[in-house]
Amino acid sequence: MTATNALTPARYADVIRLRAVRMVAPHGFGYLGQALSSAELFATLYTGHYDPGRDSLVVSPGHYIIAAFAAAPEAGLLDEEALASYGFDESALEAIGTERSPAVDLTCGSLGMGLSGAAGLALADRLQGRDGARVYAVLSDGELEEGQVWEAALFAAHRRLGMLTVMLDANDSQVDGPVSSITTLEPVAGKWESFGWAAFDVDGHDTLALDAALRAATADPRPAVVIARTSTTHGLTVLPDGADGHFITLPASLAEAALRELEARLA
Amino acid sequence: MLKQPYPTVMKPYGRALVDLARQRPEILCLSGDLSRQTEIDLFQEQFPERFIHAGMAEANMVSMAGALARRGFLPFVHTFGVFATRRPLDQIVNSVAYPNLPVRIVGFMPGLSSPGGPSHQAIEDVALMRAIPNMTVIDLADATQIRAALPSIAGVPGPVYLRLKRGEIPVIFDDAHEFSLTTAQALIDGDELAVIASGMMVSSAIGAAAALAAAGVSAGVVNVPVIKPLDAEAIRRTVSRVSAVITAENHSVIGGLGSAVAETIAEAGLGRPLRRIGLRDTFAEGARAAPPLFRKYRLGTQDIVDCAWELLRRPGPPPPVPAIVAAEGEYAPV
Repeated sequence: MTATNALTPARYADVIRLRAVRMVAPHGFGYLGQALSSAELFATLYTGHYDPGRDSLVVSPGHYIIAAFAAAPEAGLLDEEALASYGFDESALEAIGTERSPAVDLTCGSLGMGLSGAAGLALADRLQGRDGARVYAVLSDGELEEGQVWEAALFAAHRRLGMLTVMLDANDSQVDGPVSSITTLEPVAGKWESFGWAAFDVDGHDTLALDAALRAATADPRPAVVIARTSTTHGLTVLPDGADGHFITLPASLAEAALRELEARLA
Repeated sequence: MLKQPYPTVMKPYGRALVDLARQRPEILCLSGDLSRQTEIDLFQEQFPERFIHAGMAEANMVSMAGALARRGFLPFVHTFGVFATRRPLDQIVNSVAYPNLPVRIVGFMPGLSSPGGPSHQAIEDVALMRAIPNMTVIDLADATQIRAALPSIAGVPGPVYLRLKRGEIPVIFDDAHEFSLTTAQALIDGDELAVIASGMMVSSAIGAAAALAAAGVSAGVVNVPVIKPLDAEAIRRTVSRVSAVITAENHSVIGGLGSAVAETIAEAGLGRPLRRIGLRDTFAEGARAAPPLFRKYRLGTQDIVDCAWELLRRPGPPPPVPAIVAAEGEYAPV
């Protein structure tokens, strides 16, 4: 991954944001908030942790696939030019991840299934003797409302799947509003810990904190969760107050302002 | 074919799976906490490293099985039919069927074979599984068929739902029986009526055909273990030769074998009168034993005979089905 070495994780995160704005802009709306909240998470994961040749990547919430696509060129998983087709008819880059989605090992349009898939991949690695292979699963906090996540959490801890790391984008956003207004998930870390997981609760826009958490997660013999506290509007000041983080409306004028902001920062 | 009452054997599926697993190292066995009841305690004893206890967590079990299949394993997932299909339906669709992965979902205790009430009676599992693209749906009739079918089932490239009776399994077919994934099997030829049956109702259909033959009605029996993909050609061929058709399934009449046959007849424009023996869009209830439920909900051998008699407009009362007394360790259909 020589290409990513040229980019600091913080700068890489802004590259993800810029690409996500370009991908959403032609449609006028889309899953931009997910890319904004998880940009540092993907950037840090793809810089010195996730190795596509050795590890598996699960993006459990299918609409987060935009962030995986936007991060993929530096990891050699996708040509940057392909991103322009995102969300268009007949494109392999569908807005909600499917079986044909490139750049990931597994993604799920129906929420709550990704951790089970990740546990299955980790179990397969163990049964097939792939020592050193890790499984990274990106989950969202709203998804924790699905009971299946906790079935999988119980299973992974019981089977001591220490090669499994969950990157939890805790952006407090779901379709009907803030997750915290709909279901109380706190204490999130306490829940995972009580299930037998190592939990690291960090500022999800602080790449140094994310990097340290990922290192600690890898070193811990238990399955681990990195709880990344994030915002669906982070890194884009031009977005209006009260923008719906789950599905951001991006008219042409706003898209232009967003591109200007990000291009200026990356200049 | 053997004669009623049939001898029975225990755990033919469990033994067949162990034998197959010896030749197929990629087979994994997943349990949803009903290991003895689904006969896979035998697998656990033989191959503990390939046995994955998922606990009472069907959603996780099915999604995990999908991921294991992506990595070249052949996962067989086991629980009762109700829990195998109702609980993880979205997981079966998204984690297994849509990616077209070779996961085998094995659901025991079909239809009214459980006296445990609606929570334990899988009366719509075939309908649910049949509606899912890529899914193969199989309802087996006896121990011989189970042993013959398992290697073929293991070879299906996509997902399979396999429906199996629990406990003592009758031996209806002799050792020469051949299982086919693609062709339905005429067990008895008849030129007036065709009884098309699957699973536990195959033995009832055989008994009904015998009783009808004794009363001068030429009734054929077709065994349809593979409900999807249905051998539509065999259905068309059979139906075109007779004047009336009865389907018999230990399942709701909505969405299962009866529906599949009705669709085939209608699409072929054959226009034969059809009656479907099965649960008539109702839940059953708990009971002390299963046979009274088969009688109450009219899934007995006599019910097939009565239905045939009315359908063929024969005069007088239908012939009574001779009572077959099954001794301990034997099986006769209701």
